[in-house]
Amino acid sequence: MIPKSAYVFSLIVLFACFAFPQSSKPTPQNFSAALIQSGQTLFQQDCAFCHGRDAGGGETGPDLTRSKLVSEDVKGEKIGAVVRNGRPDAGMPRFSLTDDQIAGLVAFIHNQKTIAESQKGGRRGVDVADLQTGNVEAGKTYFNGAGKCSTCHSPLGDLAGVASRYQGLKLEERMLYPRNAKSKLTVTLPSGQTVTGELAYQDEFTVALRDQDGRYRSWPASSVKFTVNAPAEAHAELLSKYTDEDVHNLMAYIQTLR
Amino acid sequence: MNISLNLFRIAGLAALTVAASPIAFGQGAEPNILLNPPPDTWPSYHGDYSGRRHTPLTQITPQNAGQLGLAWVFQTGQTLQLKSTPVVMNGVMYFSVPNNVWAVDVRSGHQIWHYTYPPNKGSRIGNRGVSMWKDWLYFMSPDGHLVCLNANDGTMKWNVEVADYQKGYWTSMSPLIVGNHVLVGVSGDFDNLQGFLRSVDPETGKKQWEWDSTPPPGTPNATTGGMTWMTGTYDPKLNLIYWGTGNPTPVLEGKTRPGPDHYTCSIVALNPDNGKLAWAFQPSPHDTHDWDAVETPVLVDGDFHGHPHKMLMQTSRNGYFFVLDRTNGKSLLTVPFGPVNWAGGIDENGEPIPNPEKEPAPDGRLIAPDEGGLTNYRSPSFDQKTGLFIVSAHPSYAIYFAKPADGTFGWAGADYGVWGKGVLEAIDYQTGKLRWTHQLGPGGSSAGVLTTDSGVTFTGDAFGNFLALRTSDGKTLWHAGTGGHMDTSPISFELDGRQYVVSGSGTAMFAWALPRAETEQTVAAGTQSAE
Repeated sequence: MIPKSAYVFSLIVLFACFAFPQSSKPTPQNFSAALIQSGQTLFQQDCAFCHGRDAGGGETGPDLTRSKLVSEDVKGEKIGAVVRNGRPDAGMPRFSLTDDQIAGLVAFIHNQKTIAESQKGGRRGVDVADLQTGNVEAGKTYFNGAGKCSTCHSPLGDLAGVASRYQGLKLEERMLYPRNAKSKLTVTLPSGQTVTGELAYQDEFTVALRDQDGRYRSWPASSVKFTVNAPAEAHAELLSKYTDEDVHNLMAYIQTLR
Repeated sequence: MNISLNLFRIAGLAALTVAASPIAFGQGAEPNILLNPPPDTWPSYHGDYSGRRHTPLTQITPQNAGQLGLAWVFQTGQTLQLKSTPVVMNGVMYFSVPNNVWAVDVRSGHQIWHYTYPPNKGSRIGNRGVSMWKDWLYFMSPDGHLVCLNANDGTMKWNVEVADYQKGYWTSMSPLIVGNHVLVGVSGDFDNLQGFLRSVDPETGKKQWEWDSTPPPGTPNATTGGMTWMTGTYDPKLNLIYWGTGNPTPVLEGKTRPGPDHYTCSIVALNPDNGKLAWAFQPSPHDTHDWDAVETPVLVDGDFHGHPHKMLMQTSRNGYFFVLDRTNGKSLLTVPFGPVNWAGGIDENGEPIPNPEKEPAPDGRLIAPDEGGLTNYRSPSFDQKTGLFIVSAHPSYAIYFAKPADGTFGWAGADYGVWGKGVLEAIDYQTGKLRWTHQLGPGGSSAGVLTTDSGVTFTGDAFGNFLALRTSDGKTLWHAGTGGHMDTSPISFELDGRQYVVSGSGTAMFAWALPRAETEQTVAAGTQSAE
């Protein structure tokens, strides 16, 4: 089964993008056997190492048959962009492929998704049902106690409805470390003026932010004073402290925040 | 007269002499060169047999590294990332990506020839480089073949199959050349396959011997896997090669392969003439986290706690730093070099004891490090002067899952990286303590490490910056953005009196050096003292 939220979300996207209110399901995606075959060959050569030979996940790469992006993809418009640009932050290189090659990959990935979803009984990979072993009360206690989650988060505030927005593995991954959380950069210029904005880049030599006007501004790290406020780092610090039971209990509690 | 011009004339005279006596000069990677690499070469994957990735060159120093600049860039024009270490011989550099080999003039960076392997269906995850024996190059293909090329023009001499890609094998490593043996290893994690290391005759491509790391598939209660996908090291005096082996299969599910799963995730010492096993040490007994123990087995002779030892050191993917006596495989030191939470202790042999509670489970287990490991194939470096083992580390956490529906073939589970970063760590080899660290950025870096006798450390960060650091304290001396992800380990050699440092990044090969004027002063000083 497609996770329900992904299905609903894909419908919303379709309605929003194409304004076809009469459509009740995603655009049917039919691909020729020859196209799927050509995509399979390329997939085995350049993608299978990370995403698995059947696109069900492998070394470091996610299961594409359960991917939200794949479920939202129509004829490669989303998959193609990821293949061409890569995901440098997640370790995925970009690939310079022809339109025909991309079309083959897209056909193969969608076909694998269909095959995976048609499997009877227990599916490979991580189901929402797999992540129900924790204790809600113990998780709540951890949230408000040892985990210090309540220092930054509130079940009635920022986390209200979080379990409706994310489920299963996605929710657990975000709970453990929210990858795309924003950090704040404050730069003090030699003149004494301060500039604050969303951290856009930081290496050893350069810091950059996007200011409130959306403008990108960078400085040599050595010539300005700056501070980075990265609240997500509290998640990284917690990783060495969790027991597996803590993770499962916390997950049980977070899943009640619908 | 311009001194460099004068030198040029002398070099021209030398070239004429070469033409007149081809035996004395212009030789390829002869055994004596592989044993004692001259400064104008980097004749093999690790540069020498020790795997230390330490160059005796001293032109680039902590004082002048700030003046480093670009000598040239070579654009491969390919979509696949460079993951190879170049081989340098007679002023020519040879390197590869899957299905492609180039010969490039080191002085100018221009292409001499480009070989392309025929289209095939093998995995193109990477190629670590070609190897050289005399005037021949050895290249491994995605579809599991070993190809012998003429180094002069890139023409093929022979092509032999090492492993059947249709069974799920592929090949990516740079063969190790020892005497008249071309030692080749294999890759393959998607299927339950037998791992092996094979010795091939450099003249004919015929098999000389084969050492199997695991029994054939279908052997009851036995593991498969133990792939041999990284280049080993060699001690000529002990006449032993040292090789790391990969993870067992099925990868994340261990029930069908009870026990330690020999010889997966192991460091083995073999006789290069017959493949006979001298000893084995297992960094990860009964691995269920994909932690191949293939990281360079670095060979160091020196003092350990007051006594001279022939040592072998490995920063292993599973998060432990091992120091062994390489004459017998006995443990001298086992200590984590970052966050590690999967072992319940260390046994009397110095091998970690896996905690069964940390095996992948249906509801997930939080594991440090992640599947990519606390380090990986990127090369570390050992600096004898400071006694530092310098490694690009990846402190990280992941969640590991396995359930009956995942089966017992190939991957057999799922794992997801949660968080990680890159840190260059300088490890005191006698204690395992970190003398300094240098942050490399979120996610992590895949660049290897090179140290020089003058006290400079080269590596890359997570953003594609190539870095020169001071070896004594890790302070940054110089950097340059390369605009790509660095999946290679730097090398160095000196030609025409100029020290080059070469690093691949993205799909381009970069050669760095001090400005001409700077190196010419060095040459002039050298010339005067010679006279």
